[in-house]
Amino acid sequence: MLELARQLGTSGLSQAIQSTLWLTPLLQAIHILMIGIVFISVLMVVLRILGRYRADEPFTAIWLRFAPWMWWALAVMAATGLVLIIGEPLREASALSFWLKMALILVGVLSVLGLRRAAAGFTGTSMPFGTRLAATVVLVVWIAIIYLGRSIAYDAEIWGSWSLGVYA
Amino acid sequence: MSTPAFVQALYDSGIAVWMRDSLKAMPLIEATHVLAIATVFGTILIVDLRLLGVAGTGRPYSVVAREMLGKTWTAFVLAVITGALMVAPNAITYYGNTAFRLKLLALVLAGLNMVIFQLLTARTMPTWDTSAKTPTAARTAAIISLVLWTAIIFLGRWIGFTKGYDFSVPEDVQFEFPQ
Repeated sequence: MLELARQLGTSGLSQAIQSTLWLTPLLQAIHILMIGIVFISVLMVVLRILGRYRADEPFTAIWLRFAPWMWWALAVMAATGLVLIIGEPLREASALSFWLKMALILVGVLSVLGLRRAAAGFTGTSMPFGTRLAATVVLVVWIAIIYLGRSIAYDAEIWGSWSLGVYA
Repeated sequence: MSTPAFVQALYDSGIAVWMRDSLKAMPLIEATHVLAIATVFGTILIVDLRLLGVAGTGRPYSVVAREMLGKTWTAFVLAVITGALMVAPNAITYYGNTAFRLKLLALVLAGLNMVIFQLLTARTMPTWDTSAKTPTAARTAAIISLVLWTAIIFLGRWIGFTKGYDFSVPEDVQFEFPQ
């Protein structure tokens, strides 16, 4: 995988991204704006399940209000993230934080869809304990994704010898 | 550029020394800053989109604003605390950094925009609170707010690419990529 990343890093596309100095901060700034939209959308859906946000409305109303924003912002995050990866493939591939983040994004997306299934049609204030617990776990997963994203730049400092790069 | 005494004092403070010496503190503080900013931006976006009549128009503006207010301020306080912890160990380079200065200016302007909206435009709120059609002054305030907060996030990211560091990584930490 590291060898593959090293080769991708020498490709023309990767070199073009690396040599366009304003591109990386621009994409990262867009990425952070989108974190705001995704995180708040997840937070509102979770808070509705906990009965702490718009509890007077059925769950589906809150889901329909925020889900489109969440999916579109996730799509923009995937696009900006992909260009950032192509620009610095070795930095990402050698970071344990990166692989953990990718795995947690999969868990995060699937578990949000699971929450929607569990809470669909619910109109009351207080949902069953299991659903509320699951919603809290989903929120923690998305917070962990943000921390892992920032940790990519500090992989050796955070993980020490667990980091996949050569740690001397 | 000469360094003002308060910048030097911040740089020399105990918390700044601790941040410089600790390897794990900076990434954790930075990630918390991202989380806080995401919450500030997301909650303000919800209020501004309601103010523009774009989204959430099924509920009165005052209700949408009240639901978000506590979250926005809590996250903003967290962003200020974590931001100060990021500035302190690098205070001298932050002080001279253009992106940092512009970010502080944008924060002041966003605050002024909010105060002007509350003092003037919000006084007529009972006449448009439940309507999707809000007055031009309200829409203008919403657009200014969104432009400024977007700029604040862009400038924040630009600081990281322009400030450099005025301390070095401890010698026993080296991160080498395979050749």
